Amino acid sequence: MSDATTPLRDPAFLQAFLDTLIPPGDDGRMPGAGSLGLGETIVARIEAAPMLGPAVGAGLAAVRDAALERDPAGFASMPPHLRAEVVESQLAAHPMLILGVGLHLYPAYYQHPRVLEGIGEPPRPPFPEGYTVDETDPALLALLEARRRR
Amino acid sequence: MANEPVGVLIIGAGASGAAFAWSIAEAGMSVLCLEQGPWMKQGDYPSNFIDWETRGMGPFATSPNVRKLPADYPINEQASAISPLMFNAVGGSTILWAAHFPRFTPGDFRVKTEDGVADDWPIGYETLEPFYATNDRMMGVAGLAGDPAYPHHEPPMPPLPLGKSGNVVAAGFEKLGWHWWPSDSAVTSREYEGRAPCINLGSCLSGCAQGAKASTDITYWPAAMRRGVQVRTGCRVREITVRADGMADGVLYYDEAGALQEQKAEIVVLACNGVGTPRLLLNSRSPQHPEGLANSSGLVGKNLMFHPYAAILGIFDEPLGGRRGPTGCSIWSHEFYRSDPSRGFVRGYSLEAVRGFPPGQTSLWGMARGMLPWGGGHHDAFARLYDHATGMLAIAEDLPEETNTVTLDPELTDSNGIPAPKITYALSENSKKMLAHAIERAKEALAAAGAVETLDEPLMSAAGWHLMGTARMGADPRTSVVNEWGRAHDVRNLFIIDGSIFVTAAGVNPTSTIQALALYIADRIKKNIGTLFD
Repeated sequence: MSDATTPLRDPAFLQAFLDTLIPPGDDGRMPGAGSLGLGETIVARIEAAPMLGPAVGAGLAAVRDAALERDPAGFASMPPHLRAEVVESQLAAHPMLILGVGLHLYPAYYQHPRVLEGIGEPPRPPFPEGYTVDETDPALLALLEARRRR
Repeated sequence: MANEPVGVLIIGAGASGAAFAWSIAEAGMSVLCLEQGPWMKQGDYPSNFIDWETRGMGPFATSPNVRKLPADYPINEQASAISPLMFNAVGGSTILWAAHFPRFTPGDFRVKTEDGVADDWPIGYETLEPFYATNDRMMGVAGLAGDPAYPHHEPPMPPLPLGKSGNVVAAGFEKLGWHWWPSDSAVTSREYEGRAPCINLGSCLSGCAQGAKASTDITYWPAAMRRGVQVRTGCRVREITVRADGMADGVLYYDEAGALQEQKAEIVVLACNGVGTPRLLLNSRSPQHPEGLANSSGLVGKNLMFHPYAAILGIFDEPLGGRRGPTGCSIWSHEFYRSDPSRGFVRGYSLEAVRGFPPGQTSLWGMARGMLPWGGGHHDAFARLYDHATGMLAIAEDLPEETNTVTLDPELTDSNGIPAPKITYALSENSKKMLAHAIERAKEALAAAGAVETLDEPLMSAAGWHLMGTARMGADPRTSVVNEWGRAHDVRNLFIIDGSIFVTAAGVNPTSTIQALALYIADRIKKNIGTLFD
């Protein structure tokens, strides 16, 4: 019962899948990965990967088909815990699925401004503002002073 | 097409080529450097962008086989336990290095004498000492004078701040009574000769947008060009040409447009690193040098040494602020640097505390380690890892072995059709034992520092920064490629000044020594210019 559209080109499915891998945090600080508009970038990177790309595509198709077997409304309409169950059910047959998506999703997610704010980092590039770090502990420096070769 | 002949032709504008050019320009000869890469622009470095981590894994990746930029040549590394890393641009690999800047210790030049293995160098620390000092000044080194592991020297700038993670790890070493010292780092800790101080971007390994980290495009090259040195970019040398008497007389190279050019020179200087230099020598076959240029010993491309690295990570309950600050520069330890028969291996290693990891990298190693699940537990797991981990690297002294080689691949070529290098490298039993010992000691130090969990990567395969030994120096032409001041035994106007000429590798980063050697060789040429070819 497979849809003709590849799951990588199905925005609703993809958003739901990304939200399943990284769901919104309970306290509202961390957004779900599906809500950040990362899909297009991630799909392009997956499709450009000669080894993992086809494996990921097959895994996603299996997830979508398994969801449709459970619920004709499909994966995107399922509640989060059922989506997770469906994904889990396909991992034995598609062991590269999480790795293949995660390699691209995780770095993209953790560089998004909303996510950086969520983890307590300023949502900006490192340059030009930079950052401050703690000075060297004076007690440690005093210990070295006593050992210095002169 | 022929170009105006020059006195000195340097191939490669990286760490050694830049230092050599600056020094040799004093001799009054015309000096030209050919570099296959471009000039870099600080505004292009990843840290100017919010997705800097991703950019650092693509066009600024440390492996040329990943980057595949026009300036890069492919490397067959399938038969190597360690992937060679490098960057091709004015500045070479200093564009992406960590700028960790230890010198070799005096004993590193006397391995045979001390431990009965490998060979002694034909020169010692005392020969290089003044050139180390000049190089520290030119590159701009921050450090704390007085490290008892070294002869006294005075870095020109005060040390970089250790940050919280460095303080915590140093306290662990202190608790164990082990040697530690703030790293010498080629990073500015204050305004220095027109360079702004480090602002802790934490992105050293993908280029320094602040210009605080020393890369030779902003240190030596401007000074060398003020002395009249020319740099020609986008030029890939195909072969060194020779006269009927076997002396070098220049090179053939492809320019940026792909046109074959001829460049004549009185002196040819190779500064292409421990892979690029043997590649070019082996590609320079002629009736006078049928096995490749300067290869009557058969040792060109042999004795390749990397520094085998192990990574050891500690996870702490307290936040460490660790991903900020100069990436590779915090503290080092020489506690296990010298041979101790009770350990079951010869020679030793240094431990280098590094900073923590940015968010994207944290997520990737968390996933790879199975510590960052997808789904419901994801955020809690990330919060436990991010800013709570800091690491240490063990850098082992690799010993030379003739079976570890750079050869020419029979099929693979670069974009100009020039045969590409093939690396054959296996880790010795001695190095394996050394790394295993280092991992346990590093875990001990991290536990003493308060780590609640420790992890390790027993051999970092993507860590082949240090390319050494493939055209070694020595007094005997039968057992070495160049003499004690870098001149090829077989070709009196050919010099090699990069890590290829190392006899042994020590257990510390090599760039400070590579550059000191380049300055020393330039000095010897200047002093002997009248009788250079006698």
